[in-house]
Amino acid sequence: MFEFLFKYSPAVFAKGEFVFLARWPVWVLPVAIALACALLAFVLWRRRGRMPAGLAGWRPVAIWALQCCLAALLLTMLWHPALSVATLKPQQNVVAVVVDDSRSMSLSENGKTRLETARSTLNGGLLSALEEKFQVRLYRFGRTLERVEKADQVTGAAPVTRISDALKQVASEAASLPVGAVVLVSDGADNSGGIDRETIAEIRRYRIPVHTVGIGRLAPEKDIEITDAVVPPRTLADSRLSAQVTLRQFGFQNRKVQLKISDGAKLLASQEVTLRGSGEPQTESVAFDAGIAGARTLAIAVDKLDGEENQNNNSLMRLVNVESSKPRVLYFEGEPGWELKFVRRAAEEDRSLDFISMARTTQNKIYRQGVSDAKELEQGFPGKAEELFAYEGLVLVNVEASYFTPAQQELIRLFVDRRGGGLLFLGGRASLADGGYAASVLADLVPVALSDRKNTFHRDPARAVLTAAGRDSLICRLVEPSARNAERWEKLPLIGDYQETGEPKPAALVLAESEVAGRARHPLLVIQKYGLGRTALFATGSSWKWRMLQDHKDTTHHTFWRQLLRYLVSDAARPVSLTTPRQVLFDEGRFRLSAEVRDKSYSPISDARLEAHVMGPEGIAATVELTPSPAEVGLYEGEYDAEKPGSYLVELAATRGNELVGRDVLTFRREDGVAENFRTEQNRELLRKLSEETGGQYYTPETASRLAGDVAYSEAGITTREIRDLWNMPAVFLLLILVRGCEWLLRRKWGAV
Amino acid sequence: MRSRIALLLVVAFLLSLCTTFAWQRRSRGFPGGGFGDNWVPEPADANEKTEFVYARLMYPSAGRRAFGGFGGRGGSSWTTDYPKNDRQFLQGLRRLTRVHARSKEHVVDLDGDDLFNYPFIYAVEVGQWHLSDAQAAKLREFLLRGGFLMVDDFHGTFEWEVFMASMSRVFPDRPVVEIENKDPIFHVIYDLDERFQVPGLAALYDGVTYERDGIVPRWRGIYDDQGRIMVAICHNMDLGDAWEWADDPAYPERYASLAYRIGVNYVVYSMTH
Repeated sequence: MFEFLFKYSPAVFAKGEFVFLARWPVWVLPVAIALACALLAFVLWRRRGRMPAGLAGWRPVAIWALQCCLAALLLTMLWHPALSVATLKPQQNVVAVVVDDSRSMSLSENGKTRLETARSTLNGGLLSALEEKFQVRLYRFGRTLERVEKADQVTGAAPVTRISDALKQVASEAASLPVGAVVLVSDGADNSGGIDRETIAEIRRYRIPVHTVGIGRLAPEKDIEITDAVVPPRTLADSRLSAQVTLRQFGFQNRKVQLKISDGAKLLASQEVTLRGSGEPQTESVAFDAGIAGARTLAIAVDKLDGEENQNNNSLMRLVNVESSKPRVLYFEGEPGWELKFVRRAAEEDRSLDFISMARTTQNKIYRQGVSDAKELEQGFPGKAEELFAYEGLVLVNVEASYFTPAQQELIRLFVDRRGGGLLFLGGRASLADGGYAASVLADLVPVALSDRKNTFHRDPARAVLTAAGRDSLICRLVEPSARNAERWEKLPLIGDYQETGEPKPAALVLAESEVAGRARHPLLVIQKYGLGRTALFATGSSWKWRMLQDHKDTTHHTFWRQLLRYLVSDAARPVSLTTPRQVLFDEGRFRLSAEVRDKSYSPISDARLEAHVMGPEGIAATVELTPSPAEVGLYEGEYDAEKPGSYLVELAATRGNELVGRDVLTFRREDGVAENFRTEQNRELLRKLSEETGGQYYTPETASRLAGDVAYSEAGITTREIRDLWNMPAVFLLLILVRGCEWLLRRKWGAV
Repeated sequence: MRSRIALLLVVAFLLSLCTTFAWQRRSRGFPGGGFGDNWVPEPADANEKTEFVYARLMYPSAGRRAFGGFGGRGGSSWTTDYPKNDRQFLQGLRRLTRVHARSKEHVVDLDGDDLFNYPFIYAVEVGQWHLSDAQAAKLREFLLRGGFLMVDDFHGTFEWEVFMASMSRVFPDRPVVEIENKDPIFHVIYDLDERFQVPGLAALYDGVTYERDGIVPRWRGIYDDQGRIMVAICHNMDLGDAWEWADDPAYPERYASLAYRIGVNYVVYSMTH
């Protein structure tokens, strides 16, 4: 229909450049149109007295407008409009037909595999049509690109789909071959995380249009799949962790299934989940215990259901490195309070925390507990970065801001911002607004806006009420499951005091509020990220009531405080921090390592020597040196090729001269033959986007017959420019008739004919 | 007519008596006991809301199976030196430390749950106490939750046995041990390696520092599983009397000073361990 009306295919219009072939200057055209319109207006105005009765009011204007359209159209045609389009010279250009050879192409749909659909599309006329005009090179690709003679040589055996890599190789051939276009026949189920900008830029540099033929269904009929699972890559021993598991289903709406997390044969957690709407991503939070120190390979799985088309996408693996480190928390209180006693007891039960406290007991005495030796903190609150930064967490309790010198206040800010430590403010009569924090540097660290008002601390009982965010937070998770946890919070004894706090800051998250009957609620437990670290506020000094007013076997208070303290320190930066963009590699071994190295004052250093020792399956052992990155001071990068599938452990040591700056450990895993089980439906969005970005078009097997004609319009390869007249398009004549017809119909309707 | 007037007078008298008694119960005001005049006026800031509240334990005395009467000089051993002892100690605690302490004591018993709001409790003359099984269980629960009990002013073998008769029902399986000098309770604020017997005022009038056969002062304790003192036992000494008479020129300063230092250390220890 389009070609009937407009004479040419959409590709011509998409590729072509609009030109006027008449010798007269183009600027004369709008002038001529304007003059014509003016003339028509003048004629109508002159005849205004002799107008038929039906043409009164605005009606002459409508007639004039239609006549102007007609005049503009005729004048435009006189200027000889045309399209100048680059076309490939016949038989002088190469068209690369790239066919997906991955395992997902072997999936059967409606009694036919995707591969068979692709073959029948190619052999059913597409290849022969292309061969009439171009030299056709046929390729298959999985992990790599490989040239084949016939479409039958595409077998669907490749364990992975790497569209980017395949296109890059085609682009590299364009340097020596007149590649005019690429035809990609694929389901788009790429396993490398999509097509990167680098590849797109490379293809655009050669101006090669990539035409895509999408193969496969857009959604399975019956399937349940775990599409992603986010688990912290590292944690402290005995931590409570939360896995954010995203799954989706087709055809099993409202079915109840079990979501399980296992470490080998040991089941860590199991949670019943009700499946939501078809194709709708659904994220569930599953809490589990990390257990003792060591590298964990977690299997995250959902029940396999009868009738599922693909049962290989119901589980995936994730790695967690449970560390044996013991972060140090410094608890500083301005005057003795009961909270210290009970928080200390909670922390001492946690073998992964080192709890050090300083209590100002008299006007000139500070009582220290938990110090490693008599010298530690002997001079009072740390005044140097290397002293304060030796701790990962800091708790400030009931101490007025003015107690700290301006230098110490700035040090506390840097403790969070640069060192990446965690800072917790507790309520008290010398805390927050009552302690003069609103006017100090430290106000910036408090996750709520402080007022200048005093007397915000009240020794009156209050109820701690969980917010929606608090119900999801692991800090507040006292019992499992989440519903029981909310009930548990409702039954907690009242806290003995509370502090009025201001509005939470924009990035802060309120987990609990204090509620006093008949009065407004105030944020009670608030957390926020700050710089590299995090800060928190617990606006009370008497959560110890949860300990004293409940049975001595009740662990509420201890559990809460252990989780709160762990939150403070769990992500604290370390002198040497080793990271990787991907912890699980699918069918490839290239493993990139990045490390940030800092000195004792947590300033980045670039003169360290970094050596990573890699231990892998079957006794693999290797050493990788990380070198400074030009992108950032203190950043080091390296690469390792993991040849065999399995779990790997990387131990990094950073030295500076003879001094050890720090160590870090990382685990990763290579999995082969798994990626093709996931996201097996046609990724139409990716194929469409690829076509649009490169100047190609997306086709289905049904519309692929047009492809051979459209391929010719390309600026890559050996081209010539062709002129396609537009004045003689049927659409133009139809438009002329339409405009004239409209005028006649209107005149007739108004009785002017 | 006369008989009616007499009846009305009797009723009015009884009502006023009941009202007075009820008011006393509500405000936890109890007549004191012990030697001398224990009465002191209520401090102006007696109702201030503070972090620390000194809680005095009300317990039944041996042979009475109740809290005793309130006539005469107090009528029950738990009120000994009450309330002057408490308030003078609190003055010292407020002056010597940064503990935000209320100037007035609070009385708790072992029959309700109020004591769980006060993690530090002080019991005097426990050589005369007699706890029921329920009260012993309540005290055990208090201590296991993290409460701290300081006992004082009991002397000699007999009173020790009476004390232990109840305490052994609180903790049948935990030994009473001598607190070593190196224990933090003797160093949390003041270093108290050098300690001596602190006598009551009456003993001093008799020219000695001990009472009955309690010649050697004992600082003992019951520890929890993590090595923290739950019960601090001051046997063969009378710290309470020393606090109470610290303002009396007749009472030697050295005894009062040591009594204060011990009391301050015990309070701060209870708040930090």
